[in-house]
Amino acid sequence: MAISTNIWIWIAALLTLAIYSFLYKDNPFYKFAEYLLVGISIGYGISVYWHNTIITKVFNPLVYDKNFLVLIPLILGLLMFSRFFKNVAYLSRIPIAFVVGAGTGLSVPSSFEFLFKQIYATMPLKLDVGSLIIVVGVISTLVYFFFSLEHKGFVGKVSKVGITFIMVAFGAAFGYTIMARVSLFIGRIQFLLSDWLGIIK
Amino acid sequence: MLKKTLLLIFLVFSVFLFSQENDSLIFLENQNPFLDFKLTGNDIPNDGGGGIQINWCFPDSLGNWFLTVLRRDDSNNLMVVATDLLVSSMQVRDVSSEEEPSRVKDNTNYYYTGILSQNMINEQFLNKLISNGSEYLKNGTYIFGNDTFYITGETEAIVSKSSWFNLSRIPVLVSLIIIAFVFLYYLNLAKSGKDLYIRKINGLDAVEEAVGRSTEMGKPIMYILGIGYVTDIPTIAGLTILGRVAKKVADYETRILVPSYDPVVMTTAQEVVKEAFTEAGRPDLYNKNDIMYITQDQFGYAAGVDGMMMREKPGAVFLQGLFFAESLILAETGHSIGAIQISGTTETAQLPFFVAACDYTLIGEEMMAASVYLQKEPMMLGSIAAEDLLKVFIMFLIIIGFVLSVLGYGFKIEVLKSVFDWLINLLQV
Amino acid sequence: MLKGKGIPIFITFLVGMIMIVSFFIPHKPFGDIEKISLNWYSIIAGFTMLLGVDSLIGMHFRKVKRKDENWFFSLVLIFGFVATVVVGIIETVRFGTAFDDKSYFTYIYNYFIVPLQTTMFSLLAFFIASAAYRAFRARNFDATLLLITAIIVMLGRVPLGEQISPYLPKFTEWIMQVPQMAAKRGIGLGISLGALGVSIRIILGIERSYLS
Repeated sequence: MAISTNIWIWIAALLTLAIYSFLYKDNPFYKFAEYLLVGISIGYGISVYWHNTIITKVFNPLVYDKNFLVLIPLILGLLMFSRFFKNVAYLSRIPIAFVVGAGTGLSVPSSFEFLFKQIYATMPLKLDVGSLIIVVGVISTLVYFFFSLEHKGFVGKVSKVGITFIMVAFGAAFGYTIMARVSLFIGRIQFLLSDWLGIIK
Repeated sequence: MLKKTLLLIFLVFSVFLFSQENDSLIFLENQNPFLDFKLTGNDIPNDGGGGIQINWCFPDSLGNWFLTVLRRDDSNNLMVVATDLLVSSMQVRDVSSEEEPSRVKDNTNYYYTGILSQNMINEQFLNKLISNGSEYLKNGTYIFGNDTFYITGETEAIVSKSSWFNLSRIPVLVSLIIIAFVFLYYLNLAKSGKDLYIRKINGLDAVEEAVGRSTEMGKPIMYILGIGYVTDIPTIAGLTILGRVAKKVADYETRILVPSYDPVVMTTAQEVVKEAFTEAGRPDLYNKNDIMYITQDQFGYAAGVDGMMMREKPGAVFLQGLFFAESLILAETGHSIGAIQISGTTETAQLPFFVAACDYTLIGEEMMAASVYLQKEPMMLGSIAAEDLLKVFIMFLIIIGFVLSVLGYGFKIEVLKSVFDWLINLLQV
Repeated sequence: MLKGKGIPIFITFLVGMIMIVSFFIPHKPFGDIEKISLNWYSIIAGFTMLLGVDSLIGMHFRKVKRKDENWFFSLVLIFGFVATVVVGIIETVRFGTAFDDKSYFTYIYNYFIVPLQTTMFSLLAFFIASAAYRAFRARNFDATLLLITAIIVMLGRVPLGEQISPYLPKFTEWIMQVPQMAAKRGIGLGISLGALGVSIRIILGIERSYLS
């Protein structure tokens, strides 16, 4: 195999190298790649929004399905533009209040479902040392999150056990991820050596 | 010659007849060896309508057979519900979906019929059956070509209904009411002036120091809200912490930079910072352009924030909100410029990286409680005390569950076994 | 009256309560409310996006005009933005949709955005190493515990671990299934209680810092 003659591959390869140059230090090549990525991705995002939101979720329902319910978010969205005018800028609080209300309201039942699931999963469905350790771990971790008691004496000791469990869990998650991240890097190197330079197959 | 021609015509005709014969349906009414095989159906309970479930039991001998389910309404419109289901799957659901919103209409009678076959159903046969109309869909046996199909009897009329209350969520409703009372009790307690305590949270005592040190060095503060939306609770929690931090920033008369991923988060952050600066009596210091939008692309955002960190060199970096893979890219860059970093998220997969790369990390609930800690108002402290009481309740529940399981299953005490099973059942929402 | 916080706080309360109540009512229109509200969020966000673009492009436009430090790169950003949008429009006219396989818009995505994104992502291979090194140097109990567990789990998941000891992969599995799971559930319970706390504080209007 030989070095690529495809201009698009060259662009991708040079941009890849420009990003890696950040590992040495901040430099003009990285800056170029960074600003370009931000600029292009926002341009891309606008197009996706136009297609997925304005056309699919506003225009089509309104014009073809005569679904006038869409007018509500449309008006809420337009109220956001009140920020461009100082004397009516306060109107933009209405859509903000709406989305915050929706977010918090939706989270209440979903938090409950999650709560139930976690308690259910902790219940020892089979009796072994593992389930005992899980019960101890869950309870001591919960004690660590106790806010209205000072963490000293017995509570302090249990919460120490809790933080030990937490650190083991963090270490496990850390170790679990390392290889996945290394393989991402290997993927990029493969692109450079094979698709671009054609050194390896 | 004539004989030959006649013979030929006869031959062609017979081949034609034979092929017709092969293609035609032979129907043997009421002759069905599987009379016991019946479909039953019911409305799917606790849903918003538009859903019927069809069940069947089967003898072992039919385990590898196929079942095709058809449905008829009162105006005799036929529809194929599903083809070639494995008989051993024992049920199928006929439901409206996004693509077919009015597939199953509520309050309409539907009658279901099944076609049993040893091989997959023949398309031609199915089309023929449907075009013949519903009167051919009677209990009996069809022979089509080399295949034999057995038609089951029709179910009674099944009607899909929309429920006004989801009965399976009663445990959630009950606990919601209990929890609401616990919260209201503590909020009242707080109102009546009872002192409520909150334990020390390490990272939050460092906020003052971080903002102060940045100011001394003449550097701005950077506050990163991650890549969540305003509908995500961690992002909302991050915004409430931003309010408290921004107030300190205004007190110290320094700058706060908030690069954002979502435009709604950006506008909300602008409101939060403006309000904090006004409360601190320094609305003049508020600069809308310091709370800017970057991009809605995860790694584009990471690249943009990284670059901003390298160039603005903030003295303190706050990472509070919803973070995914970009967490470590941001935290390591923040570390490399020597900023004090206070992070917090609810994403357990990202917390290890924050713990390794930041000076202080707020873990899960600590982050949600941070805004209360930073502004110890009685009502807010009341809500934290309520959360703690619920923790005690959960711990008891887990311990009771464990004891019941040990006594019930370990020591075989039947009563406790069934109590444990009942508890487990209750928790399955 | 509109200028005060009263109306927005009432809207938050009302919308929040509707969301909670609708969880228990499958009947239309309550049953679809979660889907509808997420749909509405994306519509509102779609419009707000213009505020975002105004914020970002405005900032870089000013930088170019003032010839600030790095103004050239700001120009690159603006160029990238404008070029992508223009190509998007042209290709929409040409193919009916900008997302056609043969459109230059798709090329921009495949040969600019994707390599930049994946390379940024792959930087983590280096950052994860430097973070681990820092934990190694921290020399306190928590950091050491974290690091030791990380090393065990990492080795337990690669062929080398199996060669060191056949028990290593099994031990890794046990760490993931027992202590890791226990802490994860404990943290999860805390998070759901914390989320309830945040939601209730906001719906009841006790926390109102998000409104100015």
